[in-house]
Amino acid sequence: MSEDVARNAAKLRRIDRERSRTTGRARLAIWSRYVLLIVAVLAAITPVYWMVTISLKSEIDQFAVPPRWIQFAPTLAHYYDSFLTRSFGQYLVTSITVAALSTICAVTIGTLAAYGLARFKLRANLDQRLSMWILSTRMFPPIVTAVPLFLMMRDVQLLNTLTSLVIVYTALNLPFVVWMMRGFFRELPRELEEAAMVDGDSRLGALVRVILPLVTPGLAATAVFCLIVSWNEFLLAVVLTQTDAAMTLPVGIAGRVTQYEIKWGVMSAAGVVAMIPIMVFAMAVQRYLVRGLSLGAVKG
Amino acid sequence: MDVKFQNVTKLFGRTTVVDHLDLVIEDGELVVLLGPSGCGKTTTLRMLAGLEEATSGDIFIGDERVNDVPTRYRDIAMVFQNYALYPHMTIAENIAYPLKVRKVAKDQIDQRVKRVADSLEIAALLSRRPRELSGGERQRVALARAIIREPRVYLMDEPLSNLDAKLRVQMRGELKRLQHELGTTTIYVTHDQAEAMTLAHRVAIMRGGKLQQFDTPMNIYNQPANRFVAEFVGSPSMNFIEGDVDVASRSFVSDGLSIALPETRLPMLADLQRVTLGVRPENIEVSSTERAGWLNASVYVTEQMGNETFVFLTIGGDKVIARAPADFRAEMESRVWVQIDAGKALFFDSDSGEALRI
Repeated sequence: MSEDVARNAAKLRRIDRERSRTTGRARLAIWSRYVLLIVAVLAAITPVYWMVTISLKSEIDQFAVPPRWIQFAPTLAHYYDSFLTRSFGQYLVTSITVAALSTICAVTIGTLAAYGLARFKLRANLDQRLSMWILSTRMFPPIVTAVPLFLMMRDVQLLNTLTSLVIVYTALNLPFVVWMMRGFFRELPRELEEAAMVDGDSRLGALVRVILPLVTPGLAATAVFCLIVSWNEFLLAVVLTQTDAAMTLPVGIAGRVTQYEIKWGVMSAAGVVAMIPIMVFAMAVQRYLVRGLSLGAVKG
Repeated sequence: MDVKFQNVTKLFGRTTVVDHLDLVIEDGELVVLLGPSGCGKTTTLRMLAGLEEATSGDIFIGDERVNDVPTRYRDIAMVFQNYALYPHMTIAENIAYPLKVRKVAKDQIDQRVKRVADSLEIAALLSRRPRELSGGERQRVALARAIIREPRVYLMDEPLSNLDAKLRVQMRGELKRLQHELGTTTIYVTHDQAEAMTLAHRVAIMRGGKLQQFDTPMNIYNQPANRFVAEFVGSPSMNFIEGDVDVASRSFVSDGLSIALPETRLPMLADLQRVTLGVRPENIEVSSTERAGWLNASVYVTEQMGNETFVFLTIGGDKVIARAPADFRAEMESRVWVQIDAGKALFFDSDSGEALRI
């Protein structure tokens, strides 16, 4: 009897040891995960930090070796320089205008198209084919379109205008909007609009009053994406605009790399300002963003 | 308002879903479209709602041909199978929606929402949202949204099929009562024959897009137009026995049994060889003691329902179900004696399945 008890106790002790070893291993796994995350965050944030500090450093501090991470005399000279003596203020206004207008256009047109494609069956599977065709316009690198777009815009005399950028960015974002929104619409049961129409609403009314409120998170996520694409776009902007009046921020910033000097301070200051609107907007719609991107992942 | 389908056909691609349907529904009537899934009953309802377009034929509400009238102008109300409540609106907003889109004054909307909610006992739920409600509550909200205005026709697409059995029976009664009080023409789609029998003034049975029979529940039960209708309505189902008419002995003969035919049935059967006899379980009497002139049978299995007993029998090569009193007891494979009430039996053409009329 007592032997049994002793044997049982030994067994329990062994299990305990085993368990503490596994919890030790689990703890290690958690720690290594954190270390990896910290490395990833540092990698992402360091360039931003570097840009922000350079925008605040005098030129001597910018090139100090070893680099001055924290101790330097902050100055707003570059901000003054870029936005008051140079035209960065104007570029900023251009960027905001172009990004906002093209996002509004792309989301409006794209949402309507997506609704049609999601809800109506066309003859000979045309609805499927049209969707595929729309998607296929995203399948080549944008640079391919640069020259044709330049020639087209020249012919209609829209070079160096905001209009050209709004048109081009709308076209650039449309396929994405159509495909995202089509997916969101297809998640919703048809009966919702049908009920609304039976209740006396038009199809457009049903879309506005019943369907759109239900896809708001998706709509927000899509809009943010469009805004970011338009805001960051460089290639087509540099091809289509050469004058201060029509230049967007990315083009303006890159223009400070000249054959004589590189204006790091001015560029960084403009870069910091360019970053802010997107951050503010993303934070404002963050609530929707997470839900929007995972919308459809789980049926709710 | 009366509703007419005239020679209405609906094709999906090359599939015929509704096949030359003719149906006249009287004003104030509650008509149930009954049939198995895929029989075209829901499509018929959706064509009336304008949610599907008829491929050919005419649909009338009152005297107005509505084929080309958009859904919103048809002045109908519909209850969907999944209720289709608007998830982002409160219950009050859901119920008010049909009035809101018609731009009814705010104070009048509130007043009517309250009245409807009171009558359906959902007044306490008005500020909640659909996802917080149980199935039965959602069902009531969907009904409230339909009856808040006075449409020409109510359409109901399997409104009770998502409820549990007990609630379904309760709501069935309430729906019948409600329709009686409102007196509005109602078209109700279901695959549940018990719902059809209990609710309808008249039942339209469909199969494969074709109307099989359109009559009162009692007539459908007692004089089914064909074998399909006879089998679909009634639980347990009607028994069918294939056999021959022996004119000389004036009897119906199958593999395992022979039944004397009443005088009245003979003329219609005389010139037919192969027929199917149909008899409802309540028209077969079972006895565990020997009776003179009754048929010999063996018990396959018995099912006690509490108030009655279903007896599954083998008579020669035929299997039939009989309804016996609750106290009937018999072992499996035991011998029993049965009598088929030939006077209440029905006969069907074995080839076409059509009922043979006297």
